Amino acid sequence: MNKRILITGMGVVSAIGNNVAENYDSLRKGESGICKVKYLETEHIEFPVGEVKLSNDEMCLLLNIPYTDKESRTDLLGMLAVSEALQSAGLKDTEHLALISGTTVGGMDRTEKFYPDNLSADILENHDCGSGTDRIADYFGNFDFATTISTACSSALNAIIVGAEMIESGQKDIIVVGGTESLSRFHLNGFKSLMILDQSICRPFDADRAGLNLGEGAGFIVIESEDSAKRRGANVLAELKGTGNACDAYHQTASSENGEGAFLAMSKAIAEADIQVTDIQYVNAHGTGTPNNDACESTALMRVFENKMSKVSSTKMYTGHTTSASGSIEAIYSILSLQHQFVPTNIGWSKADDSCVKPYVVGPFGKIDNVMCNSFGFGGNDSSIIISRYGE
Amino acid sequence: MENNVYVIAEVDNVSETEYREYLNPIKTRRYGRLLKRALVSAMKAIKISGIGQPDAIINGTALGCVENSERLLTALSVEGESVSMPTNFMQSTHNTIASLIGMYTHNHGYNCTYSHKNISFESGMLDAYMQIKLGKIKTALVCANDEITQDIRLKANKVGLKSDVKDRSYAVVLSSEKTDKAYKMVEDIKISHDRINGDTAEIIYSKI
Repeated sequence: MNKRILITGMGVVSAIGNNVAENYDSLRKGESGICKVKYLETEHIEFPVGEVKLSNDEMCLLLNIPYTDKESRTDLLGMLAVSEALQSAGLKDTEHLALISGTTVGGMDRTEKFYPDNLSADILENHDCGSGTDRIADYFGNFDFATTISTACSSALNAIIVGAEMIESGQKDIIVVGGTESLSRFHLNGFKSLMILDQSICRPFDADRAGLNLGEGAGFIVIESEDSAKRRGANVLAELKGTGNACDAYHQTASSENGEGAFLAMSKAIAEADIQVTDIQYVNAHGTGTPNNDACESTALMRVFENKMSKVSSTKMYTGHTTSASGSIEAIYSILSLQHQFVPTNIGWSKADDSCVKPYVVGPFGKIDNVMCNSFGFGGNDSSIIISRYGE
Repeated sequence: MENNVYVIAEVDNVSETEYREYLNPIKTRRYGRLLKRALVSAMKAIKISGIGQPDAIINGTALGCVENSERLLTALSVEGESVSMPTNFMQSTHNTIASLIGMYTHNHGYNCTYSHKNISFESGMLDAYMQIKLGKIKTALVCANDEITQDIRLKANKVGLKSDVKDRSYAVVLSSEKTDKAYKMVEDIKISHDRINGDTAEIIYSKI
């Protein structure tokens, strides 16, 4: 990094809690939020999901906006997480902020409800990813820059990466970055078509893993130049030290056997952070629970860490795979790991797989100074960041 | 010292007669109209630029390959949730275009997709511009790709909506090097948002 980039706020809503404190509590207790579908209107009750435990009208109430049934769940989740992030950073009344959000579902949850004959002008206008980001920005009114990244499951981590770039290049001093995704019948059926959904709670890195569970949620962090944070006396949660993105260039939905894209992304992030692999104490893996992802990610991890593997765990069995929001939700879990000095347990893991890393389940660990967070998307869009404890 | 950012290739609206030069018909038989046009535009821009491989591939698309989303939505509403349409689902994902360009050209570099209405392309340009300025990359392919289907037209007309999405495939190659192909320079990119005017963007070029 050409400049030090600090994390000064965060907000999250997921299957394991409606704010940072609740998410932390569930992670510490090892409690999964994945269960039988309740809010999404779908016939596929055989697939457990990680739903946020709030209906749309409950979220409207929390946000103090009138409920009309036309609000996209993606937007509501995003507003809740951005609200907590701004609050925690002490920026509720600060103007000229930038918002970069990652999403793929966007307004699809409303479009599919009214498709094809009852699509009104506002539903059509609110369908695309960008209009959702704008509605989140306009709910608060303190953003004068907004854009949207849509790289499938790596969207939110890429939003963090681009936000860092904007600060490095001096475009902005404070940026809210992350992602939001609601469940939709559209992508639940899409993932079902790809035959990668598990009917049990997912088991990342386990020899018997059989697929992923879809989840939903939103996570946003406030990143800030060190100068700005010092100037306003911000409470610094962590430092964003390195970022990397690479293209696997192999297949639309599968990862290459040698995990080339993931390997390159992690290597770039480590090089930018200017640290050694031995400086990394925890990796929050993408670890979806699909046979392909976990084996390829493991191969890439073993190529990067060789015989000096750090603690690794996936948190997908807590939240489900929150797709476009997963990168920032898990970046927040990585920050929590640094703040509270703990490694989230890869709950449910029982059987080692020769092709996979052995994830952290129980046992001692040393002081945690640097955490790597991975997020990989369709099309071999692989991203990785390094978050570190902040010292002067 | 910050790097300059030069435009060294630009491709707009390739004709279908050019497709054969770039695409393998067997490999691309499952690709829709937009994917094929996007791939050819990108590959032609890379060829004109003479750089071989760009360090980054960035695409801006408001709606992605929306023809695929429509097919899946229609099937879900007509046939219900027994449908299985993996190809349409995969290709409905917004980053399909940038990923396929990466896959087709065996490019392992930075890959990103912006989907923010009328400023999708400009957001992508800003990303490339910042990275070249910072020296993180030397070259970038930046594209704009969208399609307007008959179905979108009908649905928008029905409710009196006029979409500002353009049906086009456009590609530029940017470089920090003032090669002999360089013909203009990106001076600045201004993107802003407010409640009343929404999103506005301006790319300021200078002649060289």
